Amino acid sequence: MIDLSPDNLALLTTLQMAFVSTVILMIIGTPLAWALAKMKSRLKVLIEAIVALPLVLPPTVLGFYLLIAFSPQSLPGQIWQQVTGQQLAFSFSAIVIGSIIYSLPFVVQPLQKSFEQLGDDLLEAGSVLNAGPIDRFFNIILPMTKASFITAASLAFAHTVGEFGVVLMIGGNIPGETRVLSMALFDHVEAFNYQQAHILAASLMISALILLSIIYLLNRQPSARNKKIVDKTSSCS
Amino acid sequence: MSNTLSLNIKCQRHSFKLSINQLINLDGILGILGHSGSGKTTLLRSISGLNKECSGIIKFNDKVLMDTKLKQFIASEKRQISMVFQDARLFPHLSVHENLLFAAKRCNKPKLNVDDIIELTELSALIYKPVTQISSGEKQRVALARAILSEPKLLLLDEPLSALDNKSKIALLALLKKVNQRLKLPMIYVSHHLEELQQLADDLLTLNKGEVSHYGKIHQVIHQLNHTELIKQQTSLSLPICAIDKKYSLLSLQLNEQQKIQLPYLQATNLKHGDVIRCTIFANDISISINEPIKSSIVNKLQATLVDIIQVDHQVLLTLQCGNQSFFANISAFSFDRLKLVKQQQVYMQFKASAVHTYNSFTC
Repeated sequence: MIDLSPDNLALLTTLQMAFVSTVILMIIGTPLAWALAKMKSRLKVLIEAIVALPLVLPPTVLGFYLLIAFSPQSLPGQIWQQVTGQQLAFSFSAIVIGSIIYSLPFVVQPLQKSFEQLGDDLLEAGSVLNAGPIDRFFNIILPMTKASFITAASLAFAHTVGEFGVVLMIGGNIPGETRVLSMALFDHVEAFNYQQAHILAASLMISALILLSIIYLLNRQPSARNKKIVDKTSSCS
Repeated sequence: MSNTLSLNIKCQRHSFKLSINQLINLDGILGILGHSGSGKTTLLRSISGLNKECSGIIKFNDKVLMDTKLKQFIASEKRQISMVFQDARLFPHLSVHENLLFAAKRCNKPKLNVDDIIELTELSALIYKPVTQISSGEKQRVALARAILSEPKLLLLDEPLSALDNKSKIALLALLKKVNQRLKLPMIYVSHHLEELQQLADDLLTLNKGEVSHYGKIHQVIHQLNHTELIKQQTSLSLPICAIDKKYSLLSLQLNEQQKIQLPYLQATNLKHGDVIRCTIFANDISISINEPIKSSIVNKLQATLVDIIQVDHQVLLTLQCGNQSFFANISAFSFDRLKLVKQQQVYMQFKASAVHTYNSFTC
């Protein structure tokens, strides 16, 4: 096994956490966003508020309640321990679960908005052309809302990479397990090791900037492509 | 084999109620006529499976599509019933060709060739265009071709001409006739424009406040509707062309062995001897004379027997029999009294050639 420096280990843990969280978030967030987009019940407002809660709550509040829930004394923590044989609090799984809850609105909100804008008309058209629900999802919904899926996944990934408060509360600071980049940065600042802190901070900032630029570029592409087609056809006619 | 659609459904939503118990023969094109809010679209959506809020039984050729008592509901994608919507609903992320392939690929046992349907629906020139760059008329043609390629057992058309200009309407109507004749595909065509249905449908069903008010052969139902306020009173005819006079641009239709009807010949229509055309003569355009009119500029002069008289306020609707064909004339009560008309009286009907309307002359 390669010996990684503490900062590189933190980077690896961060990327692992962000990747796993994003995959799970997309799997959970898509049906949740779909259900919210189609829901007509009064419960919708409440569910939307719960999903959006991490946007307004200080991360430490969320982290505090998750820490209590994950402890072996509480029911979720006990169930986890019975199923996996391991403690949930201060584990990699805990920071993944925390990240999922914390980043849920970043996935659900753009997807819900795009599903609402998509409406039912095209899906009905697909349905009378013999396309079943899964077929309609992959061949109508997904291509029509591709940009929102890219945005949701990218925001979820970026937001998870930059997470600090929740991870600090429920993950502790265990190298190779729960010590992520933001914590490594905090440790460097506390130790007045500004040069290392600068390297981490600048790397995080540049990576975030590149990621956001890619999101905007991908979201801009369909209209740019359409423009090219228009130009091409008008030059042909 | 004859196709039948059995409907026994109820649908209640706020103040709107649909209640239909009707067995329908579907061997050609069934037209459904009704005002806005009469339940036309709700009925089509229930047949296609898009409306799940109805209760009752829907059967198509003995196949149960819905039976709420037995908790049976076949999803729309499994019904083999396709639909052309008012607004085309083409997939904007696909080209014209990809839209057509979307339908063709999802057909279990394809019998139709995509290229044949492209040719039939005259889409060859548009095939690789993005659907966002074609006109409304072209979009509806693509929607029709796409629906055909899903090879349904029944095709539903929900006011497909409503968003089109007159030229596109005439073209699409002709195309629908051609498709129906070529593929023998049963269709249900919903519209609140009687002239579209008069040109296209073999049978007509009318809906009023969510209930069936009339059902039968197209001309027969139109004549029944003359006694309601749903339509402008008229005579509806299907007659073969017996002569084309290109010098005077007149077309002659054979009414019976002795009698003919003349109407303007539209050069662009490419009609030929023997073609059957459908036409309408409004009751207000027919005048009555008790003596044979001689030396009149009016070209259509038919002897008929007065068989029915209905007076409403100051207007009198006369039913006249000309061989096997009924005609309807609307005259004032003043003229009716002056002529002293009685049932079984022999009279002469007169109407100008321009009073005989085909769909082209309605829309031009």
